[in-house]
Amino acid sequence: MGPPMKRTERLVNFVSGRKFRKSWYAFIIAFFLIFVILPTIYVLTYTYTQWNAIQSNVLDNKETVDMILGAIAASFEIAAIVTIVDFVVGLPMAWMLVRKKFRGKNFLDTLIDMPLVVPTAALGFSSAIFWAATPSAMNAPPFALGAITSPMLLIILLHIVFSYPYMVRSLAAILEQIDETYEIAGQTLGASKLTAVRTITLPLFRAGLVTGIILCFSRSLSETGGTMIALSTMANSAGFNTGPTLIGTWKKLSGSNPDLIPQLAFVSILLIIIALVLLVILKLVVMKVRLPMGKVWPTPEKILSRGLVPKMKDGSTVLFLAVFILIPSFFIFSFVATSSAAVGDWAPFLNSLGYSFAIAVIVTVIDLALGIPLALYIARNPSKKISHSLDILVNVPLIVPTAALGFSLGQFWTDQTLIPSVPTLLIILAHVAFTYPLVVRNVTGAMEEIDPSYEETARTLGAKPIQGFRRVLYPMIKSSILAGSIMAFTRSLGETGATQSVVSDVITAPVYIVQLVNTNQYYLAGLACIILIIVSYAAMLLLRYLTRKKQGAL
Amino acid sequence: MPEIKLEGIRKHYGSIKAADGLEFTVKDGEYLCLLGPTGAGKTTALRIIAGLTEPDSGKVFFDGRDVTDIEPEDRKAVLLSQTYSLFPHMTVAENVLFGPNIRNWPEEVRVKTLANMLDLVRLTRRSDAYPKELSGGMQQRTALARALASGAEVLLLDEPLRALDARLRISLRYELRSLAKSLGITTIHVTHDQDEALVMADRIAVIRKGKVQQIGTPIEVFERPISPFVANFLGQSNFLQGSVTHVDGMTEVRDEQGRTVAAGTANVEVGERVAVGIKVGNTEITKERYGYLQGIVERTLFEGRNIFVDVMVAGLGRFSSRIPAGRSREFSVGDKVSIKWSPEKATVFRLKDRSLDDELRVE
Repeated sequence: MGPPMKRTERLVNFVSGRKFRKSWYAFIIAFFLIFVILPTIYVLTYTYTQWNAIQSNVLDNKETVDMILGAIAASFEIAAIVTIVDFVVGLPMAWMLVRKKFRGKNFLDTLIDMPLVVPTAALGFSSAIFWAATPSAMNAPPFALGAITSPMLLIILLHIVFSYPYMVRSLAAILEQIDETYEIAGQTLGASKLTAVRTITLPLFRAGLVTGIILCFSRSLSETGGTMIALSTMANSAGFNTGPTLIGTWKKLSGSNPDLIPQLAFVSILLIIIALVLLVILKLVVMKVRLPMGKVWPTPEKILSRGLVPKMKDGSTVLFLAVFILIPSFFIFSFVATSSAAVGDWAPFLNSLGYSFAIAVIVTVIDLALGIPLALYIARNPSKKISHSLDILVNVPLIVPTAALGFSLGQFWTDQTLIPSVPTLLIILAHVAFTYPLVVRNVTGAMEEIDPSYEETARTLGAKPIQGFRRVLYPMIKSSILAGSIMAFTRSLGETGATQSVVSDVITAPVYIVQLVNTNQYYLAGLACIILIIVSYAAMLLLRYLTRKKQGAL
Repeated sequence: MPEIKLEGIRKHYGSIKAADGLEFTVKDGEYLCLLGPTGAGKTTALRIIAGLTEPDSGKVFFDGRDVTDIEPEDRKAVLLSQTYSLFPHMTVAENVLFGPNIRNWPEEVRVKTLANMLDLVRLTRRSDAYPKELSGGMQQRTALARALASGAEVLLLDEPLRALDARLRISLRYELRSLAKSLGITTIHVTHDQDEALVMADRIAVIRKGKVQQIGTPIEVFERPISPFVANFLGQSNFLQGSVTHVDGMTEVRDEQGRTVAAGTANVEVGERVAVGIKVGNTEITKERYGYLQGIVERTLFEGRNIFVDVMVAGLGRFSSRIPAGRSREFSVGDKVSIKWSPEKATVFRLKDRSLDDELRVE
């Protein structure tokens, strides 16, 4: 045995010591609280420290108040409508994917995830060209719908595109765990198919429903880049704003006009508080409310269970996917194909793309290094109060709109004096804050499914905790780690709102695309979107390849 | 192989006491069964010995050395969980080699250990199979080989036969015990199955509510139970309560309705409140009217070799008797019968201020 082996051994022994493990977990929790949670809600302290400025700049100015309240109301209205639509059309889709066998099911399964790989900036542009009445300078293809003139309706349609996969995935995940024998038992007891599903399976569904609602609602509430692009693409958006786009616009102006800080703080505070309240309500109330599922209408439900009705349901589910999700997502390709080529300077875009890429890589690495240990801690100490609180706190950056999060985080790091607030560092920290929960959530979920007795047995067989993780646990949760990291990576790559609101003058790829659209360089924007889509898609293919390889080995 | 000693172990989860002053010693190379009802704290005891659960107080000694603060990986005490926890992503051979790989043994030692272990558990031909491709019995043997290959000195078996079907469970009893005994490994086997414990153990420790009630050889705990609980848990017993009326080699007890019964020798005084327990196998029924108690046959249960006759005794409740199946025609439901036993087969338990129901409660 050579000396290098001994060095590794010594390292393994060192990190396996009880003291090291305790301080390591303390560090992980401290990191999470100080670098993720605290900056996310820091702006709430402004209600105390900066109240006077908020009072004079915002509350005393009726026009500003109206504008802010209007934007926030629009945000919540949109999020609510989007979530309801997602549920109504997502449930039959999840059902088809889990319970039905048909040719092309795998293909359909892949199609659902497609909008996830398209960065929202590209989605916003693509959907707007398809749906909205666009300015003539744009030369939208003649087969574009070009019918939508209401900005609100356009944004709803846009948000459905990227939140739909989340709803379908959450519902399908839970549905897979619900044993079909319950339903079959119900049917042998005389219930029709529909009655059995409605009264037996659906009530078991709540956990998945809550996850789906939180994901859809918060994604819609957060979305900035795509929304801004869609609004500037349509012919006449008439000063329509959502909460996040208001933050985006004001933050850009605040570079030259620092008086806007109180307005920004006020919008952010409102968005954060309302989002948190909703999170609590969902977590506490939805799980407890008793739905009136007991009532049964045998005859109509029997009719609805047979013949043409179920077929029509499945058909319209697939049609919805095609018309409302897929075509708007990829319409950009036909736009670029039919437009006359414009010559542009590609250097700035490629620079911004490289920059975005680098940020996404660094962010993903940080998420993994510090997120997996936190997930381990939460999943393996379920009885401890602290891990329960951490489990709830992890959701906070997910539900807080990223634009508000970015603003809060930017203020936090510039208000403190210990660490210099370099723009790139701030962007990394902001992206870590909202992508970190994605890794933690995924890994915690996977780990909770795995019996702790595997690791315990490994330890009694002589494995140090780190060896047990490496050799036993890691191979079992590898696909969830990969899924989490790809989500984090693509989210970071596509994020506009947080980037804009944390630092006003740094150009990432999505921010650059927003600028191209704002300056009417539609063709270049389209091409840039396509490149972004290809990069993201390549990342997803890599994930599929890696996870498939793993399944083959089992 | 180490002698294991537990001293004053306490562990509670909220208001539940999983270990409440737990103490016992397992001798070097001994096969000890921890027997008790569900929730008695058997698994907690095992986990504390393995080092996976930290006791609130008390100490664990291996060969006189305090190991309470030693990490699980340094105890050489391998836990076999109910489901075996075979690593699903590793083959049989990889599972068996887990310990040697972790400890970085030289290659030739690893190869030899693997060959020996697979041979020992007769799985050489399945070494490349994944756990899910194996039968329950094979999985159990793989887990055992994996434990032994890691250089285990203590084997901690948590209901190791539970997941197997009835026939296999019985044939593996002998196999498991003889393997552990031939290797001289100190073994603690947790079970709630009294037959399993009686057949397999050198000694049985009966635990209840986080405490050892009685520890001894199978014959000792079966024939000389020290509490109504032990008497009932190992081979079901019939009980009656009363006060001692006469002590003279044998003990005479009279119940509240004035019926007098005879029982074996006991260290009790006249007038003391006691319970008398008679194993169902020692409870005889007859149609002649000279037994201690009279009752009416309520039902008969055919169990293959034996039949159980349940008799309702007025004011006392149900008494069961196990008789050979050949006598099944003697009794039918509604018959008036009389119940008797040889006095030395009836055990007297001092009740003090406790009630019999509390003594017997299983939870």
